[in-house]
Formats: sequence, C-alpha cells, structure tokens
Amino acid sequence: MTDNHYIHKKRSNVLTRVFLEDEALINKKLPKELLLRIFSYLDVTSLCRCAQVSKAWNVLALDGSNWSRIDLFNFQTDVEGPVLENISRRCGGFLRQILLKGCLSLTDNSLRILAQHCNNIEDINLNMCKKLTDTTAQALSKHCNKLQRVDLGSCSAITDLSLKALADGCSHLTHVNISWCANITESGVIALARGCRKLESFTSMGCVQLTNEAVGVLASHCSNLSAINLHGCTNLQDAAVLSLAEHCPNLLYLCLSLCSQLTDASLIVLAQRCHQLHTLEVACCSQFTDTGFQALARNCRLLAKLDLEECVLITDATLIHLALGCPRLEKLSLSHCELITDEGVRQLGTSPCAAEHLTVLDLDNCPLITDASLDHLISCHNLQRIELFDCQLITRIGIRRLRNFLPNIKVHAYFAPATPPPSATNARTRYCRCCVLL
Amino acid sequence: MPNIKLQSSDGEIFTVDFEIAKSSVTIKTMVEDLGLEDEDEEIVPLPNVNSAILRKVIQWATYHKDDPPPPEDDENKEKRTDDISSWDADFLKVDQGTLFELILAANYLDIKGLLDVTCKTVANMIKGKSPEEIRKTFNIKNDFTQAEEEQVRKENEWCEEK
Repeated sequence: MTDNHYIHKKRSNVLTRVFLEDEALINKKLPKELLLRIFSYLDVTSLCRCAQVSKAWNVLALDGSNWSRIDLFNFQTDVEGPVLENISRRCGGFLRQILLKGCLSLTDNSLRILAQHCNNIEDINLNMCKKLTDTTAQALSKHCNKLQRVDLGSCSAITDLSLKALADGCSHLTHVNISWCANITESGVIALARGCRKLESFTSMGCVQLTNEAVGVLASHCSNLSAINLHGCTNLQDAAVLSLAEHCPNLLYLCLSLCSQLTDASLIVLAQRCHQLHTLEVACCSQFTDTGFQALARNCRLLAKLDLEECVLITDATLIHLALGCPRLEKLSLSHCELITDEGVRQLGTSPCAAEHLTVLDLDNCPLITDASLDHLISCHNLQRIELFDCQLITRIGIRRLRNFLPNIKVHAYFAPATPPPSATNARTRYCRCCVLL
Repeated sequence: MPNIKLQSSDGEIFTVDFEIAKSSVTIKTMVEDLGLEDEDEEIVPLPNVNSAILRKVIQWATYHKDDPPPPEDDENKEKRTDDISSWDADFLKVDQGTLFELILAANYLDIKGLLDVTCKTVANMIKGKSPEEIRKTFNIKNDFTQAEEEQVRKENEWCEEK
C-alpha cells in the first residue's frame, strides 16, 4: 500500500465520519417536543412515510400525540383489520376522534381491539361500516365511557341492543346517528333517551319503526336536543312533533321530510314553542298548507333554511307570509310546489330582508312561474344559485336578463333541443344510440 | 419604557421597541417580573440566542408587530400548512441550520406566531415526499435492517394510493 493511497483512505474515513456526525441536523438540533410539533402539521400519509425514514423517526411518527384525531375516510377501502389494530395500539389513550366512515371491511373484532386500547375516544364515526353488529356498540359501551359522538348510520345490522348498550355505558353522548338502521325500534330509542340525557343531536333517517311514543320519550328525557332529523320516519304523526315542541324549546334544526302523516297541527305547535328554529326540512309533507306556514312564519323569525319540496298544497300565500315574517331566509326550496306563481316570487323577491340574505332558491318543477319571476329576483343581490329545471314557461331570454343583474348566479335549467326541421331526411341518425335501440 | 436592550449569547446588544419585544412572552414576563418597565439602561440577557438569529427574530417581530395575537392551539382543528404569507415564505428561505435555530429561538422566546410558521415550513419540506426523499432532504441515515424496513413498509402501506 503506498503512502498516497493510505492518506487518501484516511482522509475519506475522516470525511465519512464528519459526514455522519453532520447528518440529520434536524435530529441533532431539535428536541423531541419540537419535532413532534412539526409532525403535528402532517397528514396521515405523511406520518406513515415518516415512520419509514429511520428508527428514531418511526418512534416519533407513531407517537400517540400525533394520532389523537384520525380521519381514514380517504383510505376507506384500504383500511382492513390489521391497520386499525396497529393504529389502536399506537394511539392508546391519546385517541379522541376516529372517523372510519365507509371503511367497509372493518369487523367487530377490530373495533373491539380499538375500544380496548383507546378508552378516551370521544367521537367515533362508523357510518357505512356494514359488517359491524351490536358487538361493536357493546365494546364501546364497556371501554369508551367518554364517548360523546357516535355515528352508526347505515350500519344496517345493528339492533336495539346497540342503543341499549350505549345507554348503559356512554351517558355523555351528545350526538347520535342511527340513520338507515332499519332494525331499530322504539324500545332502542327509549332506552337511549333514558340513558343519555345529554343528547343534543339525534339523527334517525329512514328508521321506519320509530313511533310517536319513542319520539315522546326522547323529547321528554333529552331537553337539550337542538338538532333532530326524522327524515322518512313514516310512522310519525302530529303527536311526535307535539312532544318535541313541548319539551325541546331550543330546537335549531328539524327535519321531518317524508313524514307524510303530519298536518298543519305540527307546524302550528312548532310555531308556538320553537322560536329558535333555524332550519326546517319538510319535503313531501304533503298535508301542510298555507295555514301552517302562516303560523310558522309569524313566530319563527330566525328561520334561515326551509325545504318545502313537494308541499303540494301551498300557494303564494305561504311566500307572502315568509316574506313578511322571516327576514333571515337564506335557502328556500319550493321544488314541485306546483301552485306557486309569479306573484308569490314577487312578494319574496321584493321583501327587503329576504332579498338581503337569500342565496339559494329552488323553483324547479313549478310549472306556473314565468320569466316575470326572474325579473322579480333582480334585487336579491346575494342570490347565488337558482334551480329552474322543468319550469316550462322560463325562457333563455329571461335567464339572460337575470344574469345582467346577477352576473355570478348559477342557474340550473334545461332546455330541450329544438325539434330538427322535418326536411332532414336522415332524421333517425341524429338520435343517440340508446334512443335508436328504443 | 419605549425601548429595551437585548443581549445575544455572543454579547451583541440590540435596542428594540418594547412593544415589538413584547411579542416574546419570555421577554415580556422577564421585564414584568424584574420590574424593568421603568428602567432604561437595563439589559435583558438572552443566553440561548446568538446575534445572527436574534437579528432575524427581531426582523420578523418588527414586520409582524401589528398582527392580531395568533389563535390558541386547537387540537380539534385540522392544522393547515398552506397559509404561510409570502413575506414569511421569503423570510424563511434560509439554510436548514438557520431554520432550526429559528425554531429553537421562537420556542425559547415563546413567540407563537414565529414558532407556528417555522414548524409549518419544515412540515412542508416533509409533505408529499417518499421516505427516501425525506431522508435525502434532511440527511437522515436509514438505520433499518432490510427485514425491518420491509416490515415498516408493510405496516404503513395502507396509506398509499393503490
């Protein structure tokens, strides 16, 4: 070995050592707490990649403090049992919120492991985790007593046993969603109401077995309720709304769409008791009339969002009352309210307050309205969207005129293409293939 | 007390408007606790910050003197990193050593706004990179054995798009 070579080798050793000592300035300079602070800005994917960088970074990236809130919605199809089980172990007591909406392959067993490891969960979303059964709710009940929000929407296998378990173990629940869990009956909801007096939000869309009695017990036990969605609970009658209005004066949000047995008596009692109401959705409550909405508009002056789709009996009178009584109105759906005419829209459009706030107006399938309605809306300078599908009397010219005044408005309308001139001999070829098949 | 004198670790003295220096909770507390409000000649020693970094910190605090106080950390809120102002982004175009020193100084001086924006800047250097790219960016040595590397890869592959 020549001296030269020796020197060269020695120098390169020195260089390597300097380089090694010099590497990872970030690790050398910053203490763990500050590295964790940096990691707190990282999303799930970035954290998982950091975990693969080095041993030290693996420990940092998987530190439970980074994983107190996890939203796996974007990874739903990839989240299988072992992933959730790993997360459960790394998060432990740090985990407060976990959103697993749509993680279809998750099973009761993985959820049991999660519940066992992560006793401090406050918010869990299991919407669409269709494999889950009552076993999951029982595990949550046993291990996660701090639970405040649980979303079991579309977990269609669960039964009243789940609600009974939650009622037993999770008395702090404030938000519950059991939409489309068709097995749920009144006994489950009654148990929930008795065990979870702090409920603020209850959502049970499509729970067709719900009864007046169930809603009555819910209302009388949980007077903090401010948001209730009973969309499609088709068995409900005025008595259910009566109990809600009587016991829950703080209602802000109420959805009764598709509860078609309800009558004006429901609207009148809401008007009498629930003056805070901000959003009311009553699509397809086809027995409601102007009388009910008159009472509502006179008393619920904070109403901002109102869905009256297919309240087929209402006329311009309802719009007159809303224009007078509800100065905060932002969103109004009158889809399929077939008796509405230009006069009603004029009342709405010229009421100074509605004109100030109105941002969305659905008039689709209102066959009587014409371009005159659009002219009445030109002073609604906050109007951002208007639905005009199947309004046969609306023309392109009317829409263009509206756009002159409200250049940024989104107009949803459809005009059938003009009938091709009869002179065209090969008229059939103009049709698309599926029409030809027909 | 319109001005305050700050002494860096290497002995340089900076005269700073007290209103600006107060954006450092550490300095504010020190002045109040020591009753220095009425002193003009008192010097506040900052043994953990050298002059080059202290100069940068003062520059940052001067530019941001009229900012509203930064919001408290809210763990319920998702933390954004895409809201760095263009002035801050330019200000933080520095070598990694300086950036890390600024983080340390912001932490020691308790200047939340500066700590947030410097940590976000480093987070942005990590985001969107593969593990190998992260190693390169920060000169981190891969000390996993091949078997270990394969295992952590497997454990974490669920977060990758397929």
